Amino acid sequence: MPEPREHLLRRRGPTSELSRRRFLRASASTAIALPSLSAVLAACSKPGTEAPEGATAPAGTTGPYPLARTDNPVTLPIHDDIQPIEDNLPVETGATLKIYNWADYMWKKVINDFCEEFNCDYEWTTFNNMSEAIQKMSTGQVADVFFPTVDQLGKLTYGKLLQPLNLSYIPNLAANMWPQYQNPFYDQEARYTVPYTTYTTGVAYRRDVIPDEEAEAQGYDLIWNPQYSGKVGIYDDARESLAMAMRRAGVDDVNTTDEATIQAAKDDLVELIDLVNVRTTINGVYVKLPDGVYDVHQSWSGDIIGAQWYLSDLNTPGETDILGYWYPPDNVGVVGNDVISIPANAEHPVLAHAFLNFMMDETHAFDNFTWNGYQPPLTSMNPEKLIEAEMGAYAPNKGPGTVPPSVPRAVVTEEMFDKGMWLLELAPEDELKWQTAWEEFQAGAGA
Amino acid sequence: MSEPEEGTTTPSRREARRVRRASAKQRGAWYPRWFWPSFATPAIVWQILFFAASFYVILAIAFGTQDFFRNPLPVFQPWWWDFSTFTDQLGRIFGGVYQDVYLRTFGYVLTASLTCLLIGYPIAYFVARYGGRRKGLFLALLIMPFWISYLMRMYAWQSLLERDGYVNDVLTFLQVFQEPFGWLEGHGITVVIGLVYGYMPYLILPLYGQLDRIDQSQLEAGRDLGASPARTFWRVTLPLSKPGILAGLIIITLPMFGDYYTNALLSQSPRTTMIGNLIDLTYVTPGLAAQGASLVLTIVVILIVPMLWYLRYTARAAEAK
Repeated sequence: MPEPREHLLRRRGPTSELSRRRFLRASASTAIALPSLSAVLAACSKPGTEAPEGATAPAGTTGPYPLARTDNPVTLPIHDDIQPIEDNLPVETGATLKIYNWADYMWKKVINDFCEEFNCDYEWTTFNNMSEAIQKMSTGQVADVFFPTVDQLGKLTYGKLLQPLNLSYIPNLAANMWPQYQNPFYDQEARYTVPYTTYTTGVAYRRDVIPDEEAEAQGYDLIWNPQYSGKVGIYDDARESLAMAMRRAGVDDVNTTDEATIQAAKDDLVELIDLVNVRTTINGVYVKLPDGVYDVHQSWSGDIIGAQWYLSDLNTPGETDILGYWYPPDNVGVVGNDVISIPANAEHPVLAHAFLNFMMDETHAFDNFTWNGYQPPLTSMNPEKLIEAEMGAYAPNKGPGTVPPSVPRAVVTEEMFDKGMWLLELAPEDELKWQTAWEEFQAGAGA
Repeated sequence: MSEPEEGTTTPSRREARRVRRASAKQRGAWYPRWFWPSFATPAIVWQILFFAASFYVILAIAFGTQDFFRNPLPVFQPWWWDFSTFTDQLGRIFGGVYQDVYLRTFGYVLTASLTCLLIGYPIAYFVARYGGRRKGLFLALLIMPFWISYLMRMYAWQSLLERDGYVNDVLTFLQVFQEPFGWLEGHGITVVIGLVYGYMPYLILPLYGQLDRIDQSQLEAGRDLGASPARTFWRVTLPLSKPGILAGLIIITLPMFGDYYTNALLSQSPRTTMIGNLIDLTYVTPGLAAQGASLVLTIVVILIVPMLWYLRYTARAAEAK
């Protein structure tokens, strides 16, 4: 008996395009983030853009802090007033672990297992985007564990919102995770983060409409193919969508600050409006592609794996065959991973360390993967075994049968990450170029 | 004749007033001067907190700055306000990339409002004139959609408007279309349908109230003076229902301008982006709060014009009475 579909996932944002949570939030807030009391008081005294006390720029950097790149690894600072916890402290018992995470990005069963093992309760709070999360974190939101994206780590650590990890509590990092995560370029020495999930960004398609050979031949051009007009979607995400246009044009730097390159990518996206009547979605891959609303959609690997739970008849062998996923055959494409960290104001830091370690345990990490479709970077995760042998083999906690055989490229491998391109933090003035280009596309500029 | 001011009253008048007050107190009909105005306190507090103060915060964000985390940092002192973001946004609206979005929003709202009126007026008229004993039932039926959240109703429309949904089934059966139409594939007409459906009851209810209040004898007078039913409607009913029409249109037009979820749920295409969608985009994007607040201000300016006109109209109507 398959698990109910509703338990399925999203990597980012609400379950639906417009979740009730988001609707209520939007209705109540006049669509503008109202400042917190502290921000109000700060503004009363002195307006300006200032780093928190002590958050000074390292010598030799031009911005407020260095930006991580694969060829320019960064070691995040450890502040005098926010030190890692001591070794050998007892785990807090009877505590309530406060988890601050994306909506629908973790299987509750895994958290329950943790609480059972460590005799604790948990409080689950969600955010819909990093902007909202950081705003709340910086204005006093208390949490024990937090799930940021890699491109926000500079801001979070120089802004003193995270605490350094004591890796002696997290042996599973060294024991179970890919070698590159022992010393990731965005957080050398794994000072603040451990990996949570990995993903690639490719193109999802319906195999009953588009044969694999055609998808292989077209690649990114599937999105620009007028044959599928009206049934083409891209993510409602400036960085991902513009980066896809850049990769299609052969641009190697997906963190470019070159105005002309960004504008060219925007023009390519604008072309989609008339060419294929493109739509921007967040749940298009896993909810609507299985329904036939889309034939082609830009896709995170985890979304296409999750899409199987939205098919109408899971008990029919071969049903998942309609799902297809293309990722560049040379493995040079956009990749990414999310991380888990511990906020500076965590009330139960030892329990939080235990949670990080728990989430990198093979069984629990795999459990979570079977639920949300996003693959943890476990060294023991054999790509071959992830692909199910036949329909109905789905079996949480037991191993094989998680990835439909029709989407083998959705399995993330270390090689993909060796060659992959991350979407990383940009300086505010450069980020504005991307944001402006995206706004122009969203406004239908020039279409 | 108005009573003299407290300070200028003569002792005898003051005495007379004291006696009147004592007598009123005895009858239990005397209240201090502040008693009745105090009833407005909740509304005033509400307006101050949730309109005046909130609006000032929007101004402070639009003309403010941001902190290290790129959170909006409102600036409350007008002498420190920075208008550059606001003027940039105005430049984008007038002749810039936002111009089409604004024109499109005007087009959608105008079309949807008039469609609401065309459909809603006969309904309100029917209930008011011919509802009889079943008026309560009809009103309940009109309000019934509110029992289900707007979001759910829009999801229902998603299902109805799918390529293989019931709407296409009916239209192809009736040979209106040979092939199913892709309603959800980014068409302005779908957004307008969504707006009409979503806001229609808000127009009907005030309109019904107005039509119901029209004195039947005035219609009879029109008929007695030889006017045909159509002419009576045109010369009597329609002018008398004008306040209801205006109130209904104001009620539906204002939120339509800021609506973003109808478009987000029924289209998602850049082709149909409305002003509300642009504001939503600035909300979810780091560092764009001032841009979003500036767009909110432009909507306020747009909406204040019909609002002032409506206030002027109602004030004049009150004077005429």
